[in-house]
Amino acid sequence: MRLLVPIIALVLALAAAVSLDRPLPPADFVLIDRSDVYTLDPQRMSYQHELRRARVLYEPLVNLRAADCAVVPGVAERWEVSPDGLTYTFHLRDDAKWSNGDPVTSEDFRYTWRRAILPDSAADYSGLFFAIAGAKEFFDAREAMTTEFAATHAAAPSPADAEALWKRTAELFDTTVGLRAPDARTLVVTLKAPVAYFLDLCAFPCFAPVHPPTVEAFVSIDPTSGRLIQRHDWTKPGRIVVNGPYMPTIWRYKRDMRLEQNPHYWNKDAVVAKTIECRTVENANTGVLSFQSGAADWLTDLGPEYRTEMIAERRAYLERFKADLEAGLARGGRVDDVVAALPPPGEGERRDARGFSAFGTDFFSFNCRPELPGGKLNPFSDARVRRAFALAVDKQALVDRVTRLNEHVASTLVPHGTIAGYPIVEGLGYDPDRARAELKAAGWDDRDGDGIVENAEGVKFPTVDILYSTSSPRYQNLALAMRDMWKRELRVAAECRSKDSKLYKNDLQKGNFMIARGGWYGDYGDPTTWLDLQQSQNGNNDRGYRNPEFDRRLAEASGETDPALRLRKLAEVERWLFNEEMPMLPICNYVSVYMYDPVETAGITDHPRLEQDLSVLGPRRDAATGSAP
Amino acid sequence: MSAPSVSTGALILRRLVQLPFIVLAVYTLTFILAWSVPGNPLENPEGRRPPAEIVEAMKKQYKLDDPVAFYVDYLEKASGIGYLRGTTDRVFDLGPSLKQPDWNVNEILATGLPVSITLGLSAMILALMIGLFAGLVGGLRPGSPADLATQLVAIVGISLPSFVIGSALLMLLAVKLKLFPVGGWGGLSFIALPALTLSLPFAAYISRLVRFGMIEEMGADYIRTARAKGLTRARVALRHALKNAFLPVLSYLGPATAVALTGSFVVEKVFAVPGVGQHFVDGVLGKDITLVMGVVLVYSTLMVVFNLVVDVMYRFVDPRIA
Repeated sequence: MRLLVPIIALVLALAAAVSLDRPLPPADFVLIDRSDVYTLDPQRMSYQHELRRARVLYEPLVNLRAADCAVVPGVAERWEVSPDGLTYTFHLRDDAKWSNGDPVTSEDFRYTWRRAILPDSAADYSGLFFAIAGAKEFFDAREAMTTEFAATHAAAPSPADAEALWKRTAELFDTTVGLRAPDARTLVVTLKAPVAYFLDLCAFPCFAPVHPPTVEAFVSIDPTSGRLIQRHDWTKPGRIVVNGPYMPTIWRYKRDMRLEQNPHYWNKDAVVAKTIECRTVENANTGVLSFQSGAADWLTDLGPEYRTEMIAERRAYLERFKADLEAGLARGGRVDDVVAALPPPGEGERRDARGFSAFGTDFFSFNCRPELPGGKLNPFSDARVRRAFALAVDKQALVDRVTRLNEHVASTLVPHGTIAGYPIVEGLGYDPDRARAELKAAGWDDRDGDGIVENAEGVKFPTVDILYSTSSPRYQNLALAMRDMWKRELRVAAECRSKDSKLYKNDLQKGNFMIARGGWYGDYGDPTTWLDLQQSQNGNNDRGYRNPEFDRRLAEASGETDPALRLRKLAEVERWLFNEEMPMLPICNYVSVYMYDPVETAGITDHPRLEQDLSVLGPRRDAATGSAP
Repeated sequence: MSAPSVSTGALILRRLVQLPFIVLAVYTLTFILAWSVPGNPLENPEGRRPPAEIVEAMKKQYKLDDPVAFYVDYLEKASGIGYLRGTTDRVFDLGPSLKQPDWNVNEILATGLPVSITLGLSAMILALMIGLFAGLVGGLRPGSPADLATQLVAIVGISLPSFVIGSALLMLLAVKLKLFPVGGWGGLSFIALPALTLSLPFAAYISRLVRFGMIEEMGADYIRTARAKGLTRARVALRHALKNAFLPVLSYLGPATAVALTGSFVVEKVFAVPGVGQHFVDGVLGKDITLVMGVVLVYSTLMVVFNLVVDVMYRFVDPRIA
């Protein structure tokens, strides 16, 4: 009997623990993400789901309208651009308020942008701010000041000296960086050179303001290095102060976040759902089952395990109603509205999963370095070899039979139709005859008829080393399929080598590969977010492609002041890059797959930049589409 | 099996003196392993790379450029010495998470540990109930259809991995029959499925222990004596035989509970339970060194204390050990 006593005590303790953790009342809109947001500090964000959350918490000077990615007023109700394109004057609206009732001022923006530029903040996107006059100089000067300070104070910490250093830094910012606040409602930004997409940048969440007193309460100065130490405790509900349509009221680590309407938001009448619950479910299987059990309105990332099957079921459904769908679209209806009005799906069909072509491109990098690590021969340093390998890949077959997500095949980097005014650029397509000719022109040919390709000195073409990461079976499948294509069309042998994400990254940086999987998502609505990747000095230039000619052409085109001409010039650079230089082999545009029922949920945009606006998502309201209560 | 038997007080004292050395050894080993993995926690493994100067700035801030400084600094703050010296304002400061800058490791453990403990203890209680019942059913009628059935279930319970059992339970009880929510946490209905999944291997093992114990004890002389005295079979079984048959279960419960508390990450993943196990695995994969070190420190301390408690309890229940 004595044994029962501890067990009863355990049960009671458990009951107490359980009763403390009660479920919350249901929210108006529930979404499921694959991972929790890493931070609610908008200057430190870089992931898509974080930026999506930030868009409804922090309102920047201007917003991107989800439907078409047009720049519309945010905190700034209007703005002027000087004729030389260098000076932007923003006029802030009177009723822009923080969630604690404080007005949003131009000083708040200066404070926020200063903290984004400071090297102390270690922000991923500091580089975007270098478009502002003096920003890069300020960054370098601060870096030099703290390095020098650390050298003299590492052994002799001095809070007073660190404080003085910070004062000098703040003064330096005021005098060097092109950011002025003549009054609380006006912000004047001076750029280093005209940036055609500057307004688009201003809509990026990293440019959205934070509430200075709230953030400043957790900043201290390290007396040994002179650097600012930023603690992020201010992002927790209860402390956090925001200026967007929603504010977080509950945030439980890797579990859920609850957003409630910000009562002080100036445009709160336009907000659809009063409360939003963002749940984190890492397991793809559990996420799908949760959605199907009705626990969520939107599953933001359908795992690779389900994608092909569900996309196929959607295709089967749309195939049955092809005529109705086409008629509806011809009348100018949006896909979701037309699909919601169709009869319900039958066995083996579905309409609650949808793939969207995204602002991202899947590619494989060619190693363009003169030689491989260890001084080994690198045939891919020759553009003719790169062209040959690109021409020998049948991308449509890859998309149809390997990835099977109905992706758009890509021959260039910038996804077609994503940037208004940017022409459609085509690169090299599938042409095995020309591929063999290019390889021959590069000196690689089967000279002795033994089925092996060699050069004039009789050196065999080295076995091609294809590197990919084990993060998804997609890359392995693509690598294997291309290996077979190259074997068939070019008679070269290739070997696939898989590495864990971290080791793969390591090999990429060291240039230890011949062909490696890559991929890129654009950050802002301008071709340079893509083309900059090929710049000699770019930190993401994994290809080791260093071509002063390209750098010169890109700088010349992006510096053009006439916006329409500038886009045409950039398109010309891209055309040259993907017809002649070929530093990478684009495969297709990425597809994002969501699960949501178009009958129940409205407001999801299919603009390829996929800037979903949580504040307009909610139940479908119009009766005409037949939404049942 | 220590040769000279020691008093309980001496045992506790000796273990408590050992504790910091054991934890230090675990800390050092984890540190070496965590630092020998290539890659950088400040980089997004799949994403873009920040400019080199920014990475350098971040490395400096988190002392990632100097392993020795990191080792000493972290140990000082985590052990409480830092608090006494005034270098940190938390008593045991396990550092900021390198991957989740808004959270420090103390906060992550504070949200995750109660969840993992609730799940682990619920599973152990379920395992005891199921295991005892199944063991008694089989042990009292060896070879009967009921015995064969429970043994079969026990073998399946031990050999099937929990992600298979968990997914099957999800499909059947949550999706098809809609008796429980699919995943998440908050309230008894959310605990039921993950606790059941986690408990099954333990329940299976306990049922086999009880079954063998009961078969052995029911054939012993003192049972025959008790039966001859006129006691009913049920009374003999529950009052006398079970008492002795339960002792191996008790010694198994110690390590089993520790495993249930710390080894629940698969179940946590399958049922989207926000416990420490999941956070720890994510920390290892993302090279979140401070999070990994913090969890290992807390868990190794818990393990040592837990084993001590079980040893003391065992002496209390069975005085022959002491």
